[in-house]
This record gives sequence, structure tokens and C-alpha cells, in this order.
Amino acid sequence: MHFDPAVLVDYWPLLLQGAWLTLQVSVAALVMGYAAGIAVALIALMPGWLPGLVTGFYVETLRNIPFIIILFVVYYGLPFWGIRLPATLVGTAALALFASAYYAEIVRAAILALPRGQFESARAIGMSPMSAMWHVVAPQILRALVPPSTNMTLTMMKESAVLSSITVPELTYQSLVVQGNTFAPFEVFAAVASIYWLMAVVIAEISRRLERRVGAVQAEAVSRNRIADRYLSLVARRT
Amino acid sequence: MSATPVLRVSALTKRFHGVIALDQVYLDVHAGEIVALIGPSGCGKSTLLRCLTWLEQPDDGFIEVAGKPLGRELTPGGVVRHQSRRQIDALRPQVGIVFQQFNLWPHMTALENVVRPQTVVLGRPRAEAIRRGEELLTRLGLADRMDRHPHALSGGQKQRVAIARALAMDPALMLFDEPTSALDPELVGEVLAVLRSLAEIGMTMLVVTHEIGFAANVADRIAFMDQGRILEEGPARDIIAAPKEPRLRNFIDLVMANRRHDNPGTTIDTTE
Repeated sequence: MHFDPAVLVDYWPLLLQGAWLTLQVSVAALVMGYAAGIAVALIALMPGWLPGLVTGFYVETLRNIPFIIILFVVYYGLPFWGIRLPATLVGTAALALFASAYYAEIVRAAILALPRGQFESARAIGMSPMSAMWHVVAPQILRALVPPSTNMTLTMMKESAVLSSITVPELTYQSLVVQGNTFAPFEVFAAVASIYWLMAVVIAEISRRLERRVGAVQAEAVSRNRIADRYLSLVARRT
Repeated sequence: MSATPVLRVSALTKRFHGVIALDQVYLDVHAGEIVALIGPSGCGKSTLLRCLTWLEQPDDGFIEVAGKPLGRELTPGGVVRHQSRRQIDALRPQVGIVFQQFNLWPHMTALENVVRPQTVVLGRPRAEAIRRGEELLTRLGLADRMDRHPHALSGGQKQRVAIARALAMDPALMLFDEPTSALDPELVGEVLAVLRSLAEIGMTMLVVTHEIGFAANVADRIAFMDQGRILEEGPARDIIAAPKEPRLRNFIDLVMANRRHDNPGTTIDTTE
């Protein structure tokens, strides 16, 4: 038995199709999950005990169940309500749901880390809670959001492999197909591993640039010790 | 109309988990007046200011700003009605507050700090808001600091930006929370000058401070607060010279004794 990458020549298009779908699903789940995460974080910070209780239940439920089980519950549960949707759609929604719990915690923690006086001074002058969030809080937490959000997005992208179990034809699903056709599991999975690796590296690089850009705007603005700034960031500075 | 006080606080009560922070506070501040609120720390001074901006919701009592109820109102039928969030937010620009730590927004320039609330809250056109911001900052001696971010400003400059930010909303009343405490002692004179210049243009102010000397210098009237109650109030001179309330007398003696002891006639801090 020897390593023979030539067996993959005919199947590249299939793997690339899978990779493309993985990317699409991940981006869609990122957008939907983040929107839901922000909403959950904002509700969690509303006054009173009820919003915290409800969002706490939401977050803890999604964080304490394996993703594959969330996926099965959603995928096999929906038909009970008479809802039949394509597997790709259901899979993406489940992935967004899963990620939203983590994004919510990231956003909530970033808002809580900002001194309370910032929000209060905006409220005291007459801004609505949403205006205060938009004009005063959001611009100051953007940068702090990037590194943990990137971690979660990478985790989520890799977790999307689980969608293969409900027949979503993403990268892992296609690799199983190709493996079945070629009987060359090592070659196939080695190739797939490097595709996942490449996608993760690209996402990390995009995030690094994003952090640098947001950072450039903010380093100018936020009072912070320059030395502390250097060590608190994941960005390797050139200067 | 001049008879209506700019600020009327009646029977204001606030409890924190059963501990009483404000106990039936009554206070009137009339147009153009500077009232200093003094008292030992933990007496409820700051809580009162936070209630007046509705950052803290009082449990009982009423606040009126320029004749309009804030937060809670008595209907003609004698029923207490809670105002909606929008109603409260609409009244908030009327009460300008300068926080102890100023709470400027670090991601905006000094000018933008003053401009943004005008456009967002009052819906002023940006050009007009900028004109107003520049005018106020210039008047407060910050003409050459407008494009700086807060971290590039000194404490005194930050405070004046915070004052400009509040003034730009055309408030009926300005609140100051310990305006001298976050600054170097030698800047106290500067703060005094700024507050006096505001008084000259007829601004009504309520100043919370624990510095009696500052209060005596700046205020027309002094109110003394202890354990959540206003125990004595009157013209600044009388309060300092002839305090009636024993607790006020103790407080003044204590502060004066400390001052003589710690800072013998200078502004240099020699403690320890």
C-alpha cells in the first residue's frame, strides 16, 4: 500500500464543490448567528430579572448539548410540526443557532467590560438605549470582539463537518463520497484536511487584517498605554 | 413664571435593598441660583444626583424640572403615573450632568463629544451642531483643543469638554458631581472660575461637593445632607458661620480641623 494522490485527479471538482458549500454555509451561519447573538446579548442586558433568565436559558441550553444532537433535534424535529425544509437550509440554521449562543456571550462580555459610565453618560444626556449602544458602546468594543469571534467562527466552520450526517453535500460529505469511489481513504482525508486547514488560515488572516483596521481607528481614539496595547493585541506590529 | 423653581424635589425617597439612601428629600433650586450640596461621604449626595438624571429610579416622591414632572407624575385624579422611557428621555437633556470622572467618549474628538448628542438627541442639523459646539468650546477656552481626543486632554480640559457637552443641550439646570475631586488641587480655582462664568450667563446649578471651602466660595445657598436627609439649608455664609444643626457643626469642625492639620496653609499635600 502506498500513498497515491493521483487517484484524486478525477474527484477534485467534487471536493471543491464541497469546500465551496462549506464556505457558504459557514458565512451564512456567521451572519445569522452573529445577528441573533447581538440580539440575545442586548436582551440579556435589559433591566429586570426576566430577560436575563430567558437568555441565560437559551445560551446554556445551546452550549451544553453536543452540536450533532442539536442538529438531529432540529432536523428530525421540524417534520413533527409539518415543516419540511432542505437539509442544507436546516443545517445552516442549526449551525447559526449553535454559534449564536457563543457570539451572544462574546458580545455581552465585551459590553460589560466597558466602564458603565460610558453608557450612563449617553443615557443621561437623552440618548435612547439603542442610540447609546450604537454611538457610544459599539465603536468602543468592536476591536475587542474580533479575536474571540474569530475563534468561534473557526470552531463553527470546522463543526459544519457534522452537517454531512444529515446529507448536506459539504466538504466532509463529498470526501466520504470520493472515499467510497476510490477506496483511498488516506489520500482523500489528507486532501480534505489540507482544504479545511487552508480555509481556516484564510479566515484567520482576514480577521487579523480586520483587527488591525479596527485597531488603527481605535488606537488613535482610545486612551491606552502603547506598551499595553502591543501586548493586549494578537496583531504582530511592524513598527 | 419666575416663581416656578427650575428644580423642585419633593419627598424623594430611595432605598437600596431596604437600606435607605434618600429619606424624604425636599429641595428647590431657583433660576440663576448655585446651590451646593454638602455632607459626609455616603450621605446620599451622589444618589440624589443620579435620581435627578433618572439613572437611579427613586422609590417615592417627585421631581419637577422647569415645572415639568420627571419620571413620575400626579394625575389630576390623584393617581401616580409612571412616565414612559421616551417621555423621560425627552426631558433628560434639560438636566445637564457633569460626572465626577467626566465620562467623555474616548473614540470621539472633543468637538464630536459635544456635537453628537445634539444631532442624535435634539435632531439638530450637523452644521448647526458644529457651530454651537465650536462656540461653546471656544468660550470655555478650548478653541485649540477641539480636534483632540479625550486621552490627549488634561483633567481640567476634559471637565470643560464635559461641561460644553451638557450645555450644548440647552439645559435648564446643570448638575456637578464632585467637580474638584478628580482634579489636582491647584485646579480648584479654575473650576471655580468656570462655574462662576456659567453663573454670569444665568445658569442654574446644583453642585455636589464635600469641600466646604469650595462650596462657600461658589454657592449662593448650601444644603447639608446626612443619612439621606437634608438637615439644614440656607445662604452659604450663614451655614458656614452659624450652623444650627449639631451634625452640620460637627461636619464643619471636622473638615476645618483636618484641613488645618493636613495642609497648613498650602495646597501641597503633606499627608504621610
